[in-house]
Amino acid sequence: MKERDGSGAHKVRQVEAIASGTVIDHIPAAMTLKVVNLLAEVEDQVFVGINLRSSRVGRKGVVKIAGRELPERTVSSLALIAPQATISIIRDYEVIAKYQVPMPDVFADIARCDNPNCVTNHERWPTRMEVVLRDPLTVRCTYCERTFAANELSLI
Amino acid sequence: MTFAGRHVLSISDFARADILHVLASAGRLEREPRPDLLAGRLMATLFFEPSTRTRLSFEAAMHKLGGRVIGFSDVGSTSTKKGESLADTLRMVEQYADVIVIRHPRDGAARLASEVSRVPIINGGDGANQHPTQTFLDLYTIAKLFPRLVDGGEPLTIAFAGDLRYGRTVHSLLVALCHFGVRVLTVAPRGLEMPDTYLNHAFTAGIDVEPVPSLQEAVRRSDVLYMTRLQEERFPDPLEFGHIKASYRINAAMLAGAPAHLRILHPLPRVNEIAIDVDRTEHAHYFAQAGNGIVVRQALLGLVLGKM
Ligand SMILES: [Zn+2]
Repeated sequence: MKERDGSGAHKVRQVEAIASGTVIDHIPAAMTLKVVNLLAEVEDQVFVGINLRSSRVGRKGVVKIAGRELPERTVSSLALIAPQATISIIRDYEVIAKYQVPMPDVFADIARCDNPNCVTNHERWPTRMEVVLRDPLTVRCTYCERTFAANELSLI
Repeated sequence: MTFAGRHVLSISDFARADILHVLASAGRLEREPRPDLLAGRLMATLFFEPSTRTRLSFEAAMHKLGGRVIGFSDVGSTSTKKGESLADTLRMVEQYADVIVIRHPRDGAARLASEVSRVPIINGGDGANQHPTQTFLDLYTIAKLFPRLVDGGEPLTIAFAGDLRYGRTVHSLLVALCHFGVRVLTVAPRGLEMPDTYLNHAFTAGIDVEPVPSLQEAVRRSDVLYMTRLQEERFPDPLEFGHIKASYRINAAMLAGAPAHLRILHPLPRVNEIAIDVDRTEHAHYFAQAGNGIVVRQALLGLVLGKM
């Protein structure tokens, strides 16, 4: 299988192909830059497409990180902002592995708690959000016990 | 069931059997006081915001079990003002205290403390979040008045009145009551109704929550009327506040048609939502309720210190 966008081989590629690395596809359009912030290192060569058309998620984003294969563990934090996203690992323009973002039970120190009076916003202490509902993704702060829609939270 | 070393942070951490165990232990201590149970033990009270009534209740509980008490209730006198983290304060205090009671303005502070401390933490109120010893004493009070709360039988009808949106006591009590098959009535001003989170929790537990239009109706239909304060800062319009305050105030005349067994509870301090003339009626039970706090806190101290 050639590295390509989900829209099919006949269409014009919407984002530059990469020879090797990781492609994160089917990101909700508004979350695309958050995904870049979350996963890309300063030195990474990154290609970004925003507001691309997708039959699965409406308007989507695609992020391609060249030269680096992100292990499943690294991308698990993606589940908070882009639970529908798919990850493809590319070697020599071929997709050698493709997987869905795994959904963890807990997001440890990934998102800030949205409750301004939460102790985690006043002490230097890692945040902890427990998944209480998968669809729509809803999490509960271990500390202040408030629940939040995952897409409302800002990342650390 | 072992409670030794356990933290008391949130009523949500306690299953029905745990709650029953705490209530039974409190009942035992009330019948048979144990003035030496905690001899040689030291309780530290860390009150990062003042709450005289909660602190006195914990201190009285510890003294009545023969234990000793240290602590502070004035943040100005501690190093927190100098920027010491909550975790560091805990790491210091746990060196010499056997149990720590913490009261803190931030939501979740007690849980954070429990992740640092090797000795049991008892939450004496963390911001708008939890105040579990209040919930235990509320349950103890209701179960003492109406043993069928725990023994089974015709479900009790419990009415909550006042600010049900921001009142953490009513949220925690509702969550706890979900273990006991009660009927719940609510009376709240528009905008201060019980939040959906708690209504959903009750619904999932099979608990019926019925909003009723007036305090009078709640009085007529309840076994327990749980009153809470209305706070002026929740109302943008002072005129509106004045008007609403009047309709959430209970007085002796309104209790004329109440069932004889109706009991009125309130977490205290009251402002004017319960008129003074109610105090002399057989329905008033809020001072006895506060008194139950001592024996319930004794039980929790005895349990987490492994002595009961
Ligand atoms: Zn929080």
